[in-house]
Amino acid sequence: MMRRTAALLLRQGGSGGGDGIPQALADVLVCPLSKKPLRYCEASGSLVSDAVGVSFPIVDGIPCLVPKDGYTRDVCEQTQDALAAYFQSRPS
Amino acid sequence: MATGLAAAAARRLLPRNRWVHLLRGSHLSSSAATADGLDGGEGGSGRVKIFDRDLKRRHRDRAAWVMRDTDALADAVADNLLDRLEDCRKAFPSALFLGGSAGAVRRLLRGRGGIEKLIMMDMSADMVKKWKEMENSADDNLEMHFVVGDEEFLPIRESSQDMIISCLGLHWTNDLPGAMIQCRLALKPDGLFLAAILGGETLKELRIACTIAQMEREGGISPRMSPLAQVRDAGNLLTRAGFTLPGIDVDRYTVKYNSAMELIEHLRAMGETNALFQRNPILKKDTALATAAIYQSMFGLEDGTIPATFQVIYMTGWKEHPSQQKAKRRGSATVSFDDLQKQFGSNQN
Repeated sequence: MMRRTAALLLRQGGSGGGDGIPQALADVLVCPLSKKPLRYCEASGSLVSDAVGVSFPIVDGIPCLVPKDGYTRDVCEQTQDALAAYFQSRPS
Repeated sequence: MATGLAAAAARRLLPRNRWVHLLRGSHLSSSAATADGLDGGEGGSGRVKIFDRDLKRRHRDRAAWVMRDTDALADAVADNLLDRLEDCRKAFPSALFLGGSAGAVRRLLRGRGGIEKLIMMDMSADMVKKWKEMENSADDNLEMHFVVGDEEFLPIRESSQDMIISCLGLHWTNDLPGAMIQCRLALKPDGLFLAAILGGETLKELRIACTIAQMEREGGISPRMSPLAQVRDAGNLLTRAGFTLPGIDVDRYTVKYNSAMELIEHLRAMGETNALFQRNPILKKDTALATAAIYQSMFGLEDGTIPATFQVIYMTGWKEHPSQQKAKRRGSATVSFDDLQKQFGSNQN
């Protein structure tokens, strides 16, 4: 969890998220659990499976689709919202 | 029976501890260890869990750091597997290489199979990164993609690949038929599935030495080898997974090492060390040394080296396609065998 939070922080810190994956690869990949299509989420730089509500990270351009690497969408979104609120409230 | 008892003993005496990285016996095989449906997995999904996939993932991370550039055994298996592609007239524009020694397969590919687009997948992120670094030195212009994924949960779209090759990886899956069915689904019709897995004869010398040493030093045995598929199971596996035109063949490699320690180092470099849920996390130093000594005295050769057997089962299967040859439906014959005999039997006389 710490690692994931750190990754999220890094993304929020201006790296702009992962740079996505090639379209040819994205066409072939599906959710490992439901075998349904994946959606690329630019905000978090991850691949989202809407069918099971899990998002899978992309690290150095390599998508990690091991079920245990995914984290549930709720936690991700909540963390992002909290971070966004924090960065907005912070006087810069 | 003996293994069942050993598993029970291991369960009673030794709580599972997944964080100990001692020199573990390595990957020894015992075919009956899971016969009684031990549920070693967490989560209670109801499926039998034999292998600790998380631990295997860390093993493969470690293998990515310590592996040598070339490995004679992995290269021999990969070359043998790729050799089959030369027998096919068909080209396979899109291919997927799974786990195990996929790095060796990629290195030895040399344009075989007419691959244009290649995806390499492993469950260890470090291994995939290593392959990606290796790719920079390759000179053929393939469209390469890398994915971290689990063979048990194949993240590949249905009917999207022309060929799937798994070189020495699938014997670590808990649900081998399930993994193979997922491979079949990911293949296009008339797609080729090629796999090499380690068979039950693998490392039999080490298994014997380990058992004797443990009996002698600890008064009991614990599973130090994973259950491996037997040759007779492999054909059933392919048929059960729904592949047509199944083909199985077996090769046996004997590798010579200077000592048992060197063998264990090699197994580590290949990421093939013990990852059973029911394993004993502790290996005492004197048991390890006794194993090495017993190995040397029972199997040592005149020149001081020790042999280790690796049995590799090669599996070939195709996804169903109307153009493939198959037996005619029962009862569809139009000529009686009696007539045939009358026609041809009389000519012989």
